[in-house]
Amino acid sequence: MISFWTVVERALNGPICTERDFDLDIFVPNLRKVIEKYDIKYDPQNPIPADDDLADRVWEAGKEFLAETGVYCIDTERRILFSLKEIEGALESGPCGRVFGEGKDARIMPKRTPEDSTPPWCSVGPTSSPVSTEIFYVNLVKAHAENPLGDGITIPCLTTVDGQQIMGGSPLGIEGAIRAVLLTREGMRRAGRPGMPIVNGVTTAARAQEHIAAHHFGIRRTDALEIGTIHEMKIDFDSLNKVAFSLAAGNLIFAENGVILGGYAGGPAGVAVVTAAYNPVDLLILRGAVQHPFPTHFDLGITSARDTVWARAVANQAVTRNSSLPVVNVGYSASGPMTKMLFYEHSAWVIASIVSGGSVEVGASARGTALDYTSPVEPLYASEMAHAVAGMSRREANSIVSCLLDKYEALLREPPIGKKYQECCDVVTGKPNKDFLSLYHEVRQEMTDQFGIRFTAASPYI
Amino acid sequence: MSNLSILEQLGVAIIAGDKDNLHKAIDSALNEGISLSDIIEQGMSPGMKEVGERFARYEIYLPEMMMAAEAWENAMKILEPKLLESGVERKKVGSVVIGTVKGDIHSIGKNIVGAMLKMNGFEVFDLGVDVAASAFVTKAEEVGADIIAASALMSTTIPQQKSIIEHLQARGTRNKYCVLVGGGSTSQEWADSIGADGYGRTAGDAAILALKAVSK
Repeated sequence: MISFWTVVERALNGPICTERDFDLDIFVPNLRKVIEKYDIKYDPQNPIPADDDLADRVWEAGKEFLAETGVYCIDTERRILFSLKEIEGALESGPCGRVFGEGKDARIMPKRTPEDSTPPWCSVGPTSSPVSTEIFYVNLVKAHAENPLGDGITIPCLTTVDGQQIMGGSPLGIEGAIRAVLLTREGMRRAGRPGMPIVNGVTTAARAQEHIAAHHFGIRRTDALEIGTIHEMKIDFDSLNKVAFSLAAGNLIFAENGVILGGYAGGPAGVAVVTAAYNPVDLLILRGAVQHPFPTHFDLGITSARDTVWARAVANQAVTRNSSLPVVNVGYSASGPMTKMLFYEHSAWVIASIVSGGSVEVGASARGTALDYTSPVEPLYASEMAHAVAGMSRREANSIVSCLLDKYEALLREPPIGKKYQECCDVVTGKPNKDFLSLYHEVRQEMTDQFGIRFTAASPYI
Repeated sequence: MSNLSILEQLGVAIIAGDKDNLHKAIDSALNEGISLSDIIEQGMSPGMKEVGERFARYEIYLPEMMMAAEAWENAMKILEPKLLESGVERKKVGSVVIGTVKGDIHSIGKNIVGAMLKMNGFEVFDLGVDVAASAFVTKAEEVGADIIAASALMSTTIPQQKSIIEHLQARGTRNKYCVLVGGGSTSQEWADSIGADGYGRTAGDAAILALKAVSK
């Protein structure tokens, strides 16, 4: 694989191009061309296709699209171009068997394929959802770390420091990032899992300097820093700086790509192709140990809509059949905690990910943006669902997810917001209230009765 | 060729974002003696409306909207001088200064809202991403905007939306503009807390709010 510094050289010296021209004269026509050439069509009747040929066509389309389009560097207004040979070289030298975490909490990142019975990786936590107080923060981390299926922790986003709202790029951003790491370590210690890896380091940090500051206060080499591309097929110096630092510090990287359905990638077919194309980008530019996709609906701001579920399933199948870089999917749901709909939404995108060869990070509620609308219960359930459906056929999963979509998709535009953390959990003990636990058991039973899904008995709430 | 078919061609070219065919259709319309206001209001505007409606039905997406908007703007560069020459003043729906706030480089949501506003007849001044609070205010003053629309995706960048309002207050011009906020981490609660005039969860919401603001 070409070196990171060769990539940087290309960012500095590649062909000059305005952002407008990249978007509309290069990205869009190149994408339309490969979608037509490889005959990639969205099928709303089958949210989880079981078509290996379609998956492989999406993969080929993604590679060809990347080779013809490149990645746009916003700061230099230049294209970073890769030949097909360089893309293939990156894919051949991708990571495998990376270990995250330390001591008894260390876990190997599995490489899965569609319909694989290999247990998936489950990152658990609030998925960067904003929380208002440090006690909520620590309690949430502790509760998630107590999930026996949790392999890594995905930490919340602090919104204030000593009552002051955090502004990215300011000293409060530095302090917020440092505090987030220290609070997370404390939460995991209280759960008896001090070696559990942080996999979204550092969510409170918007800028490279904040990542670097947090690193000095408890980020370990076996944690993963989360570094993302910019919509769509773009990168900037700040992200490249994070990569440069992570490489020097020896950190693992979760490379995130949230392709916007309705944005420059267009509809579900385009989202699937661009998500597949990001896989080699995550190796070549972000130097990822994991691809971390979240195809997001432009209007709803979620990943549980029918078209985003289809795009995710197809892209996962394309990538996991052809690439060495494992996929850990992340999901954003419309509804909030302590609603039946949230269990359904998490079920749908998690099932689509698992049977398509991916692993999961579970998961954000209320679009991951409403303050304190997060709980440890639905992510626990989602991780249980992930393990329960490993090995399920795509056909069976398609039928289950179709039923689930029928239960909730009409409500996506005006979803039930549910309860805030402090309304559905005891803020002192951190435990969910009685009604919440009843709902959790009710939905588990419903899934068993309706779909034959058998959940683990290892739940801390049984 | 009948007037109706030329008008239809104008709309079709807008919907396709086809600048060349739009120019040809405009030339044909002018040669046929169709008035400038009919070219715009009866030919091109229905095309823009149709694009907005197709987008709302998820039949087309951002690229098609942006291409339609570019075709419109290109055509208006030809038509506006002619309107001035003929002494006809075209009534604009309103003008909007839009951008993504300082420290935030996420552009797609902002671009979708910008295109949606154009579909609804607004003149849009797009400042891009990572825009300082003062730059929103200065541009709004320069162009005499009706609306300032500020996008922010991250919880650590939304405070910059508040900063825009504070800059307006500091210049004593808060009441001159309708300030709309949007983006992933924003909410009605947030908009209320910072004294914004409106919060748009979707691009469609933003267009409705903007139309309401200029109709007051």
